[in-house]
Amino acid sequence: MKLEIDVLRRYIQLPSSTSEIRHLLDDVGVEVKRIEAGPTGETLTVELLANRGDHYCYEGVAREVSGRTGDGVTRPPVARLETGATPWPVNIETELCPRYTATLLVRGEQRDLSREELRPLLAAGLASVHPVVDSTNLANLELGQPTHAFDADTLDGAITVRLSRAGEKAWPLFTEEPIEIPAGIMVIADNSKILAIAGVIGCEESKTTESTTRVLLESAGFDPVAVRKASRQLGIHTDSSARFERGSDFARVLEGAGRVVHLMERAGWHREGLTGDHGGWTDPVRVVGLDVVDAAGFLEYPLTEEEVRDRLSRYGFEVSGCWPDWPEEWPVDGVERDRHTVLVRVPPSRLWDVDKNADLVEELAKSIGYNDTPTRLPNVDRGAIPSHRERVREAAEEVLLGNGFYEVITNGFHGRDLRDKLGITEGHPLFAYVETENALERAYSLLKNNALAQAVEAVAANLRRRQDEIRAYEWTRTFHPDAEAANGLCTERHVLWAVAAGHEADPDWTGRQRVADAHFFAGLIREIATALSVPLTLRTSELDGTFEGLLHPGRRADVWLGEQRVGAIGEVHPTVRQAFKLGKVRPVYLELDEMALQATPKAVAYEEPSVHHDIVRNLAFTLPRGVYASQVLAVVADHAPGWFEGATVVDRFDHEEDGVAVSTLTFELRFAPGESGRTADEVNATCEHLVDVVVRRLGDAGVRLRA
Amino acid sequence: MSTPDVDAILASFREALSQARTPAELEEVRRIHTGKKSEIKAALKGLRHVDPAERPAVAASINATQRLMEEEIVASLDAARAREVEDQIAAEWQDLSLPGTAAHRGARHPVTLVERQCLEVLRRLGFTLVDGPEVEHPYYNFDALNIPEHHPARDMQDTFWLPNSLLLRSHTTTVQARVLERETELPIRIASAGRVYRNEAVDATHLAMFHQLEGLWIDRGLTFAHLKGVLAFIAQELYGAERRVRFKPKFYPYTEPSIGVDLACVHCDGAGCEACHGAGWVTILGAGMVHPKVFEEFGFDPSEVSGIAFGLGTTRMAAQWAGVTKVNTLYEPDLRVVRRLHRGA
Repeated sequence: MKLEIDVLRRYIQLPSSTSEIRHLLDDVGVEVKRIEAGPTGETLTVELLANRGDHYCYEGVAREVSGRTGDGVTRPPVARLETGATPWPVNIETELCPRYTATLLVRGEQRDLSREELRPLLAAGLASVHPVVDSTNLANLELGQPTHAFDADTLDGAITVRLSRAGEKAWPLFTEEPIEIPAGIMVIADNSKILAIAGVIGCEESKTTESTTRVLLESAGFDPVAVRKASRQLGIHTDSSARFERGSDFARVLEGAGRVVHLMERAGWHREGLTGDHGGWTDPVRVVGLDVVDAAGFLEYPLTEEEVRDRLSRYGFEVSGCWPDWPEEWPVDGVERDRHTVLVRVPPSRLWDVDKNADLVEELAKSIGYNDTPTRLPNVDRGAIPSHRERVREAAEEVLLGNGFYEVITNGFHGRDLRDKLGITEGHPLFAYVETENALERAYSLLKNNALAQAVEAVAANLRRRQDEIRAYEWTRTFHPDAEAANGLCTERHVLWAVAAGHEADPDWTGRQRVADAHFFAGLIREIATALSVPLTLRTSELDGTFEGLLHPGRRADVWLGEQRVGAIGEVHPTVRQAFKLGKVRPVYLELDEMALQATPKAVAYEEPSVHHDIVRNLAFTLPRGVYASQVLAVVADHAPGWFEGATVVDRFDHEEDGVAVSTLTFELRFAPGESGRTADEVNATCEHLVDVVVRRLGDAGVRLRA
Repeated sequence: MSTPDVDAILASFREALSQARTPAELEEVRRIHTGKKSEIKAALKGLRHVDPAERPAVAASINATQRLMEEEIVASLDAARAREVEDQIAAEWQDLSLPGTAAHRGARHPVTLVERQCLEVLRRLGFTLVDGPEVEHPYYNFDALNIPEHHPARDMQDTFWLPNSLLLRSHTTTVQARVLERETELPIRIASAGRVYRNEAVDATHLAMFHQLEGLWIDRGLTFAHLKGVLAFIAQELYGAERRVRFKPKFYPYTEPSIGVDLACVHCDGAGCEACHGAGWVTILGAGMVHPKVFEEFGFDPSEVSGIAFGLGTTRMAAQWAGVTKVNTLYEPDLRVVRRLHRGA
């Protein structure tokens, strides 16, 4: 909302400098966003509290300042309207309109309102239209009471406030043509047409113009929710709807009309007859109890009954004495009779936001000033430590960070085209998505059900920017349709993913960096397992169907934690690489289920090293493509004696034999030396036995000892 | 028996010594000229053939010569070793102006760094991190938080709606609601952090997804002064004790009183400048005392307990700290950006 400083001064005393005014308004919750030169003077753009309909006018802002400073508020002059026989028949058919007033005005010798009178209008950025429209707009800006002027000569019979009917049309102002409006919207109608969407906007067929000579002035109170629903359903948002939605002051309906009448009379119009006041609204007399001692304790600020009365009355509240000095006519249901408790009668303008003790305490705090009450840190018996989950995250992250990975954050959505790009068709585990129902952008149509797509997109995006050394990771969630889930829609999976393309480390002048491939990620899994003290292993059989078609079938493995599958690693499938136009770049991908990583860590069992050196023997086997080193290692482990400590591959040589591609792997076997040492014959015999077993078990698969 | 020619032995030694350059050559000289089969040792062995009257003098001369030879060898060895090291150093020169070869360490995302820093501060006050779902029921996102249907506050949080009348959470306050639903033991001190979603037209400064961090402290006897104390502590621990803090009234449906926390602008210290659009202050926190209706919703008696709730926009904080003006940059997996944020241009 835009307010001109000098106009605001008509309502309330303000400091002399603009910076002091800004500080004061900020201090009372009317936040000044901008100060600029307006058409008639220095203008403030203020952000008002969203729940305060009464703020949306000069008087409302002045009232808030008054609550802080104690200075009185000066209201603009209003015509005193006498109510009685209605000048126009009015029927109210819905309880959503508790009060409706109608005043008839007739044009005399019309003249424009003065520039001085128009200042609030011009400061707000509104154009002066003609005196009738200007007067209603001004009253709205000044007092916060929306009104509407109908050209009385366009009206067909009585005014009726009712709900719209199915198929009914209206022609709201500023629209090209009549539109069909949903049934159930509160409207103002005559015998043949809709005259206005109640509280939202008037209609073309009854609008006032320069040539209008008779005006029926509406000033009413409407149900906030009804106005809000109508505004949203029609997509029409006006200053009037903004005020009504937040709750208007039904007690001041007549005063609002009186301000319009005052201005119109100054413009050469005059009233004809009395004002009809319909609906029978009466103040419900809301009373809230306030324990002065409790309030003072809560704010840690010394408050007396008198001070409470003084401060709250500035906002329009009426405050009784402490019990038993309570007005007999006020309802006191639920208020504890306590010698420190006063009764506070809520003014009609605040019925929408004040119904509890806490609401009044807030008013007191604002009146004192949030910066003028004490500030004190509560006693803290002890701090907290990071949870196991936080520590697990940090430990896994450290592995990735140490290997040059950067954390990225992607959004939670997939566009529909992404599924096609991944080549996912019906029957694939990732075919089903949770769909958003009202996304404004197509890219947000689906909740992502996998992280690989965004990982590959990240690679593609970086390649386009000529970044070909890519190592990125993210902690994210994927969403999986599941009617059996607790929410009946989907489960959320917490995932750690990483992607790499290029080298294992940024290339440097030594030229020694390995290309980042799936073996690199196998190493990361090993290091993460070590960091978390959990037994993660890689398996290349019974692969997870989720990554079918997404990861290279010959270059992937699943990650297992004991007997639970917790993730996967692998090179991105060639078809996906093609779809994302990655050229010759072969990204590798890693995904781990975060929650599975929360498994209880297993402490490493420490054994004192022997005084003897470990016994090491190397065995080289030639394996055809398709046979995994892990198969050889498994046979060795199954048949080795108890003093076998482990084996690993220390060399690989790819070559051809008889035109067939094979790999010769050198396995380093380690044996415990034993307390008294172990003989070479004993170790050699064991190795011969292991060779024999490996060849027997895997010979048919083509495995043989390398001579 | 003739007296050994010690001078000749010494001369021969010195000639050999002068030819030796390396420690190994010098050791060889030592072996030849002072070892078991050397002339000097032979001279010592031959003493028994020397006239007994002359023997002491001859022996003394031989011993002196042997000592002298040892001393000269040691001195030469020292010099040779020093020379050898110097030669080695000269030969092994490296151009250390070349870039270092240790692998570059990666970095956490700025939002994560901010989040962790906030949590570190909150842990000192006893807060623990609690997680919650992102796909939420409107009850936890709105109704339980005193935002009934058709309340204007729902406009403040344009929502992504999902089937089954579910939604993507629009704030992390949902976690607070879930905690209040299941926890009864006081005090409750929890923080929730993570992604939130707003169904907005996206541009450089408006995002469909961003990050928040919220805290909730429920106990008996918490006051407005405590609320301000906690907020000031958080603000000054995060931004520095010298930064001025101010409080202002705000409206949040789930708190009453509601409060905003501003920090004095880093450029003008509250005076107002271009960077802060003349305001002098920058809002960093939204907070308040837990609304009685929220307590009642979850069966707490608001006359018995009170609560402090606050929220931080960690995305905005990360952007401020990193000096990023287009917030959407933070959510693009552009490694140029993350590297620059971490290592500079």
